[in-house]
Amino acid sequence: MQKNLPRPGYGLGLRSEYYQPILEQSPAVDWFEIISENYMVEGGKALFYLEAIAEQYPVVMHGVSLSIGGPHGLDIEYLRQLKKLAERAQPVWISDHLCWSRGNAHQLHDLLPLPYTEESLHYIAGRVRQVQDFLGRPLILENVSSYVRSSADEFTEWAFLDALTQLSGCELLLDVNNVYVSARNHGFDPWEFISSLPAEKIRQLHLAGHSDYGDYVIDTHDQPISDPVWALYQKTLERLGPVATLIERDDHYPPFETLMAELIKARQLGQQVVERKSLCA
Amino acid sequence: MRLNEWQLAFENYLLSDAVEAPSSWVTSLQGGPTLDVSGGLAIYHNAYRGRLLEALRGDYPALVYWVGDAEFEQWAVAYIRQCPSAHFSLRWFGAGFAGFLSGYLDQQQAAPLVEMATLEWAFTLAFDAPSRQPLTCEEMTALPASAWPDLQVELVPSAQWVECRFNTLMLWQAYKAGESFVPSERIEAMEVCLIWRSGQVCQYRSLGVEEASALQGMNRGWSFAQLCSALEVTHEEGAALQAVTWFKDWLSLGFLNRRTL
Repeated sequence: MQKNLPRPGYGLGLRSEYYQPILEQSPAVDWFEIISENYMVEGGKALFYLEAIAEQYPVVMHGVSLSIGGPHGLDIEYLRQLKKLAERAQPVWISDHLCWSRGNAHQLHDLLPLPYTEESLHYIAGRVRQVQDFLGRPLILENVSSYVRSSADEFTEWAFLDALTQLSGCELLLDVNNVYVSARNHGFDPWEFISSLPAEKIRQLHLAGHSDYGDYVIDTHDQPISDPVWALYQKTLERLGPVATLIERDDHYPPFETLMAELIKARQLGQQVVERKSLCA
Repeated sequence: MRLNEWQLAFENYLLSDAVEAPSSWVTSLQGGPTLDVSGGLAIYHNAYRGRLLEALRGDYPALVYWVGDAEFEQWAVAYIRQCPSAHFSLRWFGAGFAGFLSGYLDQQQAAPLVEMATLEWAFTLAFDAPSRQPLTCEEMTALPASAWPDLQVELVPSAQWVECRFNTLMLWQAYKAGESFVPSERIEAMEVCLIWRSGQVCQYRSLGVEEASALQGMNRGWSFAQLCSALEVTHEEGAALQAVTWFKDWLSLGFLNRRTL
C-alpha cells in the first residue's frame, strides 16, 4: 500500500551501500528515493531490500532513462517496466529529468541539455502528456546540471520549465545543487532561476555535492553539500516554505551517520523557516 | 538547426573518438564566462566513456585483476566504439563483452579470457535473476517413496551453466581471495561451473563431466528413474546409490525446483 509522505518530509537516496544500516537502525528518515532503473530487475538483492524498506518508509521513484527530450520515439518497454515497478513499490510520485539520454541510434547514459526553444517546448510537452497518460499520474521533472547551452535558446531554462508545467501539467523537482552548478558554468544568477519558478509546481527539492574546479563546476554527487548550496537552499525555503527535500549521494559514500547529519541540517533549516513564518503570521 | 539535427550532431560527437567537435556544430553552442564550449563539451565526452568504462570494470573485476587496468581499458574502449549501448540500463551494457573479445583478440589469447568474461557475466545474471524458493530436503523427505521414480526437477531460475576448458574458476577464486594469479592453462577434462543465487548471495559449484551430464539430463526433463537408468551404464548396481547421493547434495545446495508441467 502506498504510504503518504510526511509533509514536508526529508529523505535520502536509497543506495545499496546503505541497505544494512537502514534496516538495522530504522533511522529517522521520512522517505527514501530510489533510482528506478536499479530496481527494474527480476529479482535479487535490490528488490529484496526495496520491499523490506518500503514496508517501513514511503518511497518515491526517480528515473534517469526516460529521455523525455530525446529524438527517438518514447520507449514503451521502458515505460512498461517503470509502471510495473510503480505497482510494486507504490511510490508517492515518479520523477525524471528534463533532458535527453538516448540519441537517434544509441543510449548515451547522460542527462544531456536541450535547446530551450518553442520547438523543444511543444515537442517535450506532448511527450510528457503521453507519459502521464500512460502512468496515470503527473510526471515530475528535474532541472539538470549543464556544461554547454544551445545558442538558439529562445527561453531561459527557468522560463522553459515554467512554460512546460503550464503546457503539460507536469510538476517540478528543483535540484538546488544543479541550479548552482549551471549558474557557475553559464554565469547566470541562481536566485533569478529559483525565484522565477512557479512555486506551486515545485513538489520536491534535491540537495547534493559537486566538484569545484575553480573555472567550472561538475555535478558529481560525491562530495558533501557545499556552503553556497546550503545558503541557496535556505533562501529557497524562505520563498517556498518547507518542501520535500532529498539528499543525494552517488559516490565516495561516507558513513551513513554523515548523510544523516546532512539530512538533520536540512530538516533544521526547514523548521527554522516554519517557525519564522508562524511568528510573522 | 532543428532539434533533431542538433541532437544528432551531439550524439555523433559523443560517439566519436575526437574530443574536438566539428566547427559547424560548435557555433550552435554557447559556453559560460570561464567554461568555454570546448571545455564544456569535453566534460560530456569524457563522462560518456567514463561511465561505460566504469560499468564494464564493475562487471568484469577479475578480468581487470588478471590483465591490468591499461590492457582492460584498451579492450573496453574498443568495445565502447564497436558496440554502443542499446539498453536504457547500464546494467546490460556489458552483455556482449565476451563475444566481442572472442573476435577482437587473437584466437589463442582469446579463449581463456573469453571464458573468464563468460563466467563473470554469469554471476551478474544470477545476481538479479527471478527469485524462486528451492526444493528442500524436508520437502523431499515428505514425498512418498512411490512418487520418487516419476520425480522431475529443474534448475532454479537464477542458475547459470558455464562450461570451462581452462582453469578459469581457479583464477577467479584467486581474484576473490586477493591472491596472485596462477598461469592460465587448459584443464584435462571440461568442468562445469554452476552458479546460482541462494537468498541474496551468489553461490557456485564445480561439476565434473559425469555429474554435469546427470544434472543436465534432469534439467532437460529426465525423471529420477531415468537418471538411475542412465547411471547404470557406468555404475551398474550402484547407480541408484549414486543418483541419491548427488540428489541429496543438489538439494542441500539449494539449486533445484520441482518441475511443473
